[in-house]
Amino acid sequence: MRRLGIAGFLVVLSVCGCASMKGTGTSEGSRAAQVPVPPESVPQSTLPPASAPPSKAESSTDNGSDQSSTPAKASDAAPPPPPPPTPVSPASPPSPAKAKPSGDTRPAKQAGAAAAQTRPPGSSRSPPAALPPSPSSPAPAPTSAPVASRALNLADLEQRLRETRAIGVFTKLSLKNQVDDLLNAFRELYRGPDKHPSAELRQRYDLLLLKVLTLLQDGDPPLAAEIASSREAIWSILADPDKFAKI
Amino acid sequence: MAPRISALTLTVIALFGGAPLAAADDASLGKDLKATIALQGMPCDQLVQSKRNGDSDYTASCKDGNRYHIYVNAQGRVIVQKL
Repeated sequence: MRRLGIAGFLVVLSVCGCASMKGTGTSEGSRAAQVPVPPESVPQSTLPPASAPPSKAESSTDNGSDQSSTPAKASDAAPPPPPPPTPVSPASPPSPAKAKPSGDTRPAKQAGAAAAQTRPPGSSRSPPAALPPSPSSPAPAPTSAPVASRALNLADLEQRLRETRAIGVFTKLSLKNQVDDLLNAFRELYRGPDKHPSAELRQRYDLLLLKVLTLLQDGDPPLAAEIASSREAIWSILADPDKFAKI
Repeated sequence: MAPRISALTLTVIALFGGAPLAAADDASLGKDLKATIALQGMPCDQLVQSKRNGDSDYTASCKDGNRYHIYVNAQGRVIVQKL
């Protein structure tokens, strides 16, 4: 009888041991802070080729100009042009599980006053400079209700980007840096007389989006698809000084 | 005798239960570092070793011989420095 009990206990323990393997993903966020000294031979898994960026700014680093002033809080302003009568936001996906991307350690340094105002109550996180998420849905109408739903979509996309486990902490931060650089380039452009984004800017935007999609396509295909389908909508915001000013 | 054996068994199970956890952490960290290197446009065919120097501060070695210092600077930028 006693042996039976011990055997049962062992079975339970081994089951728990197996279950603990699945839970590893949750620690992704905190990894940066508490990483166990990663010893050696990290088996490399299928990392997408992550197209080498021509962006001069980042690898040589310390382009610190943008850092403190990069509020890329994509929130409210996202009016896609074609206004269908239905103000519903069809593509708004179920809000993701609240995984804390704690690894995004320092720079949550966004002011994002506007974003904070329009952010839906559910997403209480500080507005970061993730990809300016776009309305995945053609929603707008002149009333305020559609605007709210659009903001919700944007925030949701942004939130999902921040919470996805398909991208590691360092990678997310690196992407955020590049998004900030791009937004700064747009800001600079709109300060000048010529408000038309150059082909070079469009190329940078496309490249950045490509990187995001490459990183997401294996680990989070739904989010990748949603971002891919929002490509033009996001660009329409960036390329329009008025819309961009509202970001 | 029986309790001693069972304790030993439990220890072994606990050890083997935790090992995959650490391995998974290492794997995802390596993936993260490699993606970061690639995002900065630097070559790294396969990450073979990574050493933690501090908070958000790593040294990574690639199979092709490239070594990088990857860290987050005071401005919050991810820096990849070729060593």
